[in-house]
Amino acid sequence: MYACLHASGNTALLLECARAFSPRIEETGADTVLFDIRGLGSLFGGPQEIARAIANRAGIPVDLAIAADPDAAVIAARGIRGITVMAPGNEAATLARLPLNLLPGSPETAELLDAWGIRTLGELASLPPPGVAARLGPEGTHLQRLAQGQGGRQLRPIEDPLRFDAELELDHPVELLEPLSFLLARLLHDLCARLDFHALAADEVRLQLTLENAPAHCCALRLPVPMRDAKTFLKLLQLELSARAPGAPVLKLRIELNPVKPRAQQHGLFLALAPEPAKLEITLSRLANLVGPENVGTPELLDTHRPDSFRMRHFSVPLLHMPAHLKGMPGRGSVTTEAALTLRRYRPPQYAQIRLDREAPAHIVTATLRGNVIAHAGPWRSSGDWWKNEPWDHAEWDIALAGGALYRGALYRIYEDLRTGRWFLEGSYD
Amino acid sequence: MTPYIELHARSAFSFLQGASLPEEYAETAAKLEIPAMALLDRDGFYGSPRFFAAMKKQNLRGHTGAEVRCTDGSYYPLLAKSRTGYRNLCRLITRTKLRTEKHPKPGAEAAATPEEIAEFSEGLICLTGDGDGPLALAIRKNEGRACMDRLLATFGRGNVYAELQRHRDRDEEARNQAVIALARSFQAPLVATNGVRHVEPAARQILDVFTCLHRKVTLATAGQLLSKNAERHLKSGVEMLRLFADYPEAIANTREISAQLPFELSDLGYEFPRYPVPQGQSEIAFLRDRTRESARMRYQSGYKRARPQIEHELDVIEKLNLAGYFLIVWDIVNFCRDEGILVQGRGSAANSAVCYSLGITAVDPIGMELLFERFLSEERGEWPDIDLDLPSGEKRERVIQHVYERYGKHGAAMTANVITYRGRSAAREVGKVLGFETAALDRLSSLAPMWGWKDPEHKPEKQFNEAGLDPGHPRVRKFMELVAGIQDLPRHLGQHSGGMIVCQGQLDSVVPLEPASMPGRVVVQWDKEDCADLGLIKVDLLGLGMMAVLEDSLVLIRTHYKREVDLGQLPPDDPETYKALRQGDTVGMFQVESRAQQATLPRMKPVRFYDLVVQVAIIRPGPIVGKMMHPYLARRQGKMPPDCLHPSLEPVLRRTLGVPLFQEQLLRIAMVAANFTGGEAEELRRAMGFKRSAERMKHIEARLRAGMSANGILGETQDTIVQSITAFALYGFPESHAASFALLAYASAYLKVHYLAAFTCALLNNQPMGFYSPAVLIKDAQRHGLRVLPVDITKSDWDCGIENMHLRLGLRYVKGLRAESGAHILREREIAPFADIDDLARRVPQLRKDEMAKLAATGALNPLNAAHRRDALWKSSRATRDAGPLLAEVPENAPEAPLQPMTVAERLNADYGGTGVNIGRHPMAHRRAEMNALGVTPAAALANVPSGGRVRIAGCVIVRQRPGTAKGIVFLSLEDETGIANVVVMAEIFDANRLLIAGARWLLIEGPVQNVDNVIHVRAKRIQALEFSAATAASHDFH
Repeated sequence: MYACLHASGNTALLLECARAFSPRIEETGADTVLFDIRGLGSLFGGPQEIARAIANRAGIPVDLAIAADPDAAVIAARGIRGITVMAPGNEAATLARLPLNLLPGSPETAELLDAWGIRTLGELASLPPPGVAARLGPEGTHLQRLAQGQGGRQLRPIEDPLRFDAELELDHPVELLEPLSFLLARLLHDLCARLDFHALAADEVRLQLTLENAPAHCCALRLPVPMRDAKTFLKLLQLELSARAPGAPVLKLRIELNPVKPRAQQHGLFLALAPEPAKLEITLSRLANLVGPENVGTPELLDTHRPDSFRMRHFSVPLLHMPAHLKGMPGRGSVTTEAALTLRRYRPPQYAQIRLDREAPAHIVTATLRGNVIAHAGPWRSSGDWWKNEPWDHAEWDIALAGGALYRGALYRIYEDLRTGRWFLEGSYD
Repeated sequence: MTPYIELHARSAFSFLQGASLPEEYAETAAKLEIPAMALLDRDGFYGSPRFFAAMKKQNLRGHTGAEVRCTDGSYYPLLAKSRTGYRNLCRLITRTKLRTEKHPKPGAEAAATPEEIAEFSEGLICLTGDGDGPLALAIRKNEGRACMDRLLATFGRGNVYAELQRHRDRDEEARNQAVIALARSFQAPLVATNGVRHVEPAARQILDVFTCLHRKVTLATAGQLLSKNAERHLKSGVEMLRLFADYPEAIANTREISAQLPFELSDLGYEFPRYPVPQGQSEIAFLRDRTRESARMRYQSGYKRARPQIEHELDVIEKLNLAGYFLIVWDIVNFCRDEGILVQGRGSAANSAVCYSLGITAVDPIGMELLFERFLSEERGEWPDIDLDLPSGEKRERVIQHVYERYGKHGAAMTANVITYRGRSAAREVGKVLGFETAALDRLSSLAPMWGWKDPEHKPEKQFNEAGLDPGHPRVRKFMELVAGIQDLPRHLGQHSGGMIVCQGQLDSVVPLEPASMPGRVVVQWDKEDCADLGLIKVDLLGLGMMAVLEDSLVLIRTHYKREVDLGQLPPDDPETYKALRQGDTVGMFQVESRAQQATLPRMKPVRFYDLVVQVAIIRPGPIVGKMMHPYLARRQGKMPPDCLHPSLEPVLRRTLGVPLFQEQLLRIAMVAANFTGGEAEELRRAMGFKRSAERMKHIEARLRAGMSANGILGETQDTIVQSITAFALYGFPESHAASFALLAYASAYLKVHYLAAFTCALLNNQPMGFYSPAVLIKDAQRHGLRVLPVDITKSDWDCGIENMHLRLGLRYVKGLRAESGAHILREREIAPFADIDDLARRVPQLRKDEMAKLAATGALNPLNAAHRRDALWKSSRATRDAGPLLAEVPENAPEAPLQPMTVAERLNADYGGTGVNIGRHPMAHRRAEMNALGVTPAAALANVPSGGRVRIAGCVIVRQRPGTAKGIVFLSLEDETGIANVVVMAEIFDANRLLIAGARWLLIEGPVQNVDNVIHVRAKRIQALEFSAATAASHDFH
């Protein structure tokens, strides 16, 4: 016998209720739970008593149906309000008046049945089975059997997903990083052993620390390559916690690893070995601790005309290194210009006072530089992002200064922000 | 004047690759004192006619050229030195375009090979181009010298100029230096251009928006595809001199090049095809003979009276050297007659007795006292405009293909239609580019027609507020600014509905040709106004659904009524026809069937043909906005005396009781009241075209007012006259055109009254057309006594047909049944009748399962031994399914289906759902008892209710209308089994019931009856939905 619980928007509650009666539970839909109640007779009595017990346990108004056939139970629970108990052999009669849309047919079949004027399960059940089979094929036969309460399928019990988490409640609050590391190492060791057992790795480590008289401290480390090395995880967490200490004694710790398939890597025979991902990650974390995470990574030019636009991408070693000359096309921006100059940018640009002569810069004064302009080229104009709140409009000049004793070169780039009228020293040419 | 000429500018006619109109360039060039300029649009001369005309207007020279794409991806900027050069460019572009798809994928655009460029290089000057030019491309590949060699060899020394552009960009300057070095080395002259893409710096934003649309990206993701700065605007000579102070020869050379470009677009060398007249005879002599011959037959005893006018017209035709043109049109008309294709000239050609004599038009202009000068005059010296109406569909296509065959693939083409950005499309595209969410986009574009920059009462800000958007928000503000900015800019090139250009010789030497969307057609790069401006002659071959209906009706009448009806010889004053017209009983009739027409006819009480001419012209937004309709009706009914606005206008307006109704009258008003010359009146007429800018109209209005003031026509009279003229800007009808349409209206009315089965049958076979859905047409025909038979697989043809003077619905009305399946059914039925449904399925295996089900559900299979529709469904679903080897041979025990027959409501549902029509009782008839209990008055009984009496009516909504001219009033038509009731819903009632009126199919409406001159309306006071289980045909909604 099977019981089916139906109530909209309460799947968690339905599942909890079902677990109280059976280990074999099927989550049939977002609002429907089906479970095996065989053997409950000795505990509760007949089907009616079992139904009452389930309804009482649910605690909220539910639609419940009990039947020998799983699908009959599901259809009745979805179609009939309250408790329905179907005696074996009586399913068809119980379901007969229910509407056809309770059946899981394809839209084409539903359309055809509608065209036939078939509106209820009873009407479908009463059609000659060979006629239905000849017209609707296996789907039609299946639907007809469902309408007759004779679906005859097996339960599809749910299985718990694999989770890799562990938590530890402490007897005494821990205040120092070292004893905390010891506890973290224990948990990580167990979790990594489980990962190993399932041939999995983790691409994210999440740590949650419950603190004394303070809100919980959470951090998450995303790894560039999946790993399952407890020592590496520990080191990374230590670096993270030393950079951002919890700020209060720790009462409880919880670690979660996000399981993924490990990545297999074949190194090239003649290629230099890249640093080990784990070690590289630790080094990057150390660097980030020293200079700030926004200053570590690979600079990447942005696709815009706005000067000095780039972002820092997380540094990672490409899987395979291929000699540059084999790559074929050069990358974007690799325009070959003979005698190209290199601009050494000042970040941020220095504010400058400029004296103009016939609309061209003649003299410059900045915090570190002062001199007469002996040659200039420009203005070079760039503007854009006019649809945003922060558009730019620059007039750039390349200038050569007389003397230039303080600097190696005497060629500079300056620009006027045409929106504010202010001048800036942008950089010097090497 | 500064010694600089801009030789490299691109306009918005480069479609998303330029941001300003040619006229804007011309105006700015005049302001900047640039004496000449060249427009080089991409792969075409799309903007050249407008550019040429605008430059000429400013007394500046407009040079012609194009940027031609090469197969290596570069664009060659080429300038036409001579007519030969221009022709070469046309033919080069045509060749590349015609071998490319209409909408090519990126990278597969039309492109010429270097060999083709060399083949067509005579008469051209080549600039080496900007960043997209051939030299820049070569320099990037380190092949600059080879490229210079090739260019010099292709175009010849002296015809290649090393082009420099300075947009204050470092990379560009590096390229300039490389170009200069190459030029020095090859002793090639330098030339400075600004590679102009927009007229002013501010228009760079429009260019950026267009770049995004062109590359299908948003502004946020476009990155370096966008302009680096706003320097590509038209610059003055002083500015260019300063930019190129180090290379003054580059500036000087612009004048040198300009001096080498004598070619002007007015010198196209276009020639209208010569008609092959017998040897020794001139075209005019041939035309005179043919006209006189046909006029004698056409006018019979009236020839003597008509002769002077005909001779006068022939003299004018001779003076203007237009005999060939008339003969070509006559030739097309003859082809149609030989092929049995109904044809009728419309438009101003109907003013001509020669056209009437030759059978080009059907209205006798002498009998109608029409104005020949509206069509053709010596003073205007323009080409006449003859539009031919043809049955829409396959027959019109045949005529078009005949013209192609006659003049060759490169000798004839359709005129283009430049599609411009308008409210809704502009809003949608700009929103997309700004990265608005889809929902916000939908909301914004749905607002567009309301804030369409026309109605001063509806400011955009107000509308945005109503839609819950803050018009002060920078993004919304930018959106509004950009939408306004791209208004009226070209979006893409479409095809004009029927305008054809033909040419003596090669049309591709006159204007580039491109493939049209429709296979087998080519289109020129200019629209009809451009063609007219440059003297290219157009013949409009327009498709008209009613022509097809009339033609089909005649065939049906011949076959089933055994009578020959000649549309040219219909009884002119048939009392029954006029009776139906006077009663507004006009469903299905051409031009007079709309609700507004029906409401006017009983007041107009037409008794003769000219009344119908006025009727056709009067119910249009023009006369309604111009407040002409009501005064005319009042005068006609004798409730008001005729008033001709001003004594000087009496000769012009007398025949329409002082109310200006026709374009001819309005032109004459402009001439009489405002001293417009014929030429100015012509400009006025052109400005009235559909696709012309509001700005041009405003300019003309100012001139009109000035002229009237000079003649002492002031104040209200002046306003009334201006209003009359501007109201016609979009919708005005020429009298001759109204007369041509009135002929068709009369013919359709006559056929409906006397040959209802044939006329209805033809109407149903030519849907969609007209004002009403097939369901309404059928119900109307049934009320007039026609019996309509259902679709029957054993009897129906693909089209509807006539059986024993009853109408048999055709298989085409079974929704979802493919024409191909229909043809298979008919072919098999020819061989032998179908024994049963299994036999049908076996012999027509092409019939898909869903098609069979549709046929069964509509009852079409009932005659094949099916007890009822469900029985047919049961049997057909077995017949069309492979039951598998196990069940295939198993016989069915029960001979009949175990399914219940459909109920009445289900049958109605199946009819409307499966065919869109219902030939049984009207759904309301099934509920009449219930309606009687509710006190509902049937539509037919409304005539008996005294005006002011309160009634309840109920029915299916067949038409919803909210005309822009009616101040928010909504007009509904409700159909029941007795007829159609018209309902007027005032704005406040509509606002309170908006959803109900817009969505409900069945309505119960209560309110007082208004019966004025037998025009009956119910003025809605209470509206409620009527619950109905049956589906219905879709209503026709007009907004």
